[in-house]
Amino acid sequence: MKKIMGYRNIGLVFGLIGLMVLAAIITPSLFSFAALVSMLRNNAVYVFLAIGMMIVLVTGGIDLSVGSTLALSGVVCTSLMSTHMDVPAIVWVLLSLVIGIICGAFNGFVVGYLKVVPMIATLGTMYIYRGFAFLLSGGQWWFPHQISQPYQDWAAKSIVSVPAILWIAAIVFIAAAWFMGYRTSGRRIYAIGTNVESAQVAGIKEARVRFLAFVICGALAGLSGMLYTANYALCTYSIGDGYELQAIAICILGGVSITGGRGTVDGVLIGWLMMSFITQFISLLPGLSVWQHALQGVIIIVAVFINIAMTRSSEKRFLKERGALL
Amino acid sequence: MAGENKGTVRDLTVKDSFQLSKFLVKWEMMLVYILILINVILAVARPGLYFNIATIQSIIQSGLDLSPMVMGMVFILLLGDIDVSIASEMVLSGMVTGILCDKGMPVIVAVLAGILTGAVCGAFNGVLVGYVKMPAVIVTISTSMLFRGIVEIVLDVNSLKNFPAFYNAIGWKNIGILPICLILYAVITVIFYFILHRSTFGRQLYIVGNNPTTATYSGIRVERLKLIVFIIMGVMAGIGSIFFVGRMGGGLSSSMGTGYEMDVIAICVLGGVSTNGGKGKVYGPFIATFIMAFLLYTLGLVGVDANTRKIVTGIVLLIAVLIPNLNKQFLADIRGKFASK
Repeated sequence: MKKIMGYRNIGLVFGLIGLMVLAAIITPSLFSFAALVSMLRNNAVYVFLAIGMMIVLVTGGIDLSVGSTLALSGVVCTSLMSTHMDVPAIVWVLLSLVIGIICGAFNGFVVGYLKVVPMIATLGTMYIYRGFAFLLSGGQWWFPHQISQPYQDWAAKSIVSVPAILWIAAIVFIAAAWFMGYRTSGRRIYAIGTNVESAQVAGIKEARVRFLAFVICGALAGLSGMLYTANYALCTYSIGDGYELQAIAICILGGVSITGGRGTVDGVLIGWLMMSFITQFISLLPGLSVWQHALQGVIIIVAVFINIAMTRSSEKRFLKERGALL
Repeated sequence: MAGENKGTVRDLTVKDSFQLSKFLVKWEMMLVYILILINVILAVARPGLYFNIATIQSIIQSGLDLSPMVMGMVFILLLGDIDVSIASEMVLSGMVTGILCDKGMPVIVAVLAGILTGAVCGAFNGVLVGYVKMPAVIVTISTSMLFRGIVEIVLDVNSLKNFPAFYNAIGWKNIGILPICLILYAVITVIFYFILHRSTFGRQLYIVGNNPTTATYSGIRVERLKLIVFIIMGVMAGIGSIFFVGRMGGGLSSSMGTGYEMDVIAICVLGGVSTNGGKGKVYGPFIATFIMAFLLYTLGLVGVDANTRKIVTGIVLLIAVLIPNLNKQFLADIRGKFASK
């Protein structure tokens, strides 16, 4: 019991349970297996963006270009796919990863090696990637009949009555948790985020770690672009607009610190579940759908406030225990 | 910071005599060169259009709809903070004005209420950033959702069309040969110049931006300063709504002005304001506003569409932040070489 209570995301779990209870009372229709699966499927794209964003946030950076990377990779994959229907769909998955890696590598190069502030650098690339997505698409839309079945299967095919996109999301979750928790490179990301100088003294190359974080984030954003188009069977240059803010919001709900060094993959998972429940919950309530953005904004502010208050009180307790405070 | 300490007992800054060579390679002068270059390109490419006062007027008018917010953002960036909620603040305060005009309130009340709304929004950000000490990025991202959410709740899919007549004049009319918005922007810039470069408050901004801890220990109330700066930003967003709605032909709906915050930040960075805080001047962004206006208009004339112009905005932004960085590294490398010899 003590071990459970000492779990660092316990507050988040309680928040999630509270939300689910509230949802169960007010909108019981949310709690059928099919409704839950469709809710998670609609929000699955955010998983990839949020995990990538978390890794960048842990280094103390921020990536505003993920929404545009998503659009760019979605447009490239869909446009090529619609003219080359006979190519196996796995090619498009790999292509989307490559596009994402290129986009992320450019961000990482500018931030890591040229030492530009992440916020400004990715603000610039956000414009650039979105512009390229428009150029390559020529403003065109792609509709379901233009998108081949094997391509759609990557997101929609049901395996053990759960769509493929959720399985892929689960794999990414586990891989990310393993990478961030047990791999040397993953731990280096935390080291850079916690204290750059001591990490450098310990022989960690700051530029390389930042570069890696942005490349992973970009790769996941690229993958999400392909899966987005496969999931909704729709594509245009403006997909994923504002998703970067959603991803950041999920990370913050999941207890990732914006100043770096703090954040776990399981926290992001809980944050994502909470955000999915909130959006679905609001859309099910009559007349509340226009309230969605306002409520999300309030929820994030409250979540960050609680997060900061808890960190401060634990720091104070720590100091008191050492006798540093009267 | 080779700034001037005005009216102090002991002037500790070393005052260089005016050097023409140094003056000519300053960042602000670079901006002037770029602006002249764009003008020359425009004049050569479309001589028929360029040598026509109406063209120049319309270029300036098209680029100045976000100008008041640029000045507010300079202060925010000087503190090392950032505010991405300004577009939402702008739409919210425009909405308040529009609704009050619909209700038949006197124009002056409606406009002041709009600006006051901006100030309240700014104060909300300022309290959270200054006193609760939440990161400015997070606060303003969520308040941008919140403010725009409020507009969505109130307006839903409707739009407001009832705005005071002078809104349109600001967006489209000229006094003599000068566009009204240009005159107003110049006035705003002069006011901000005096606040930033000629007052104690302005010097405090630089100190807080360079080192908040030092500022606290030297008796500056950092929390209050941040609150004031965010309120100023809110007021400027409120004034910005006048420019914006005027430019949009006197209509407002909930989805308008998305992405303006990014444009404003881009202009500030291009104008030499560092996002790390503590570095930047008022006249850099002033010139940069015109660079962006002329650049985007020129591209439009050449036949580049609005979405592709985003690429140019992005590249300009990246280059603007890269040049000082590379320059610094380049100089450091040279010094390192000399030191090793």
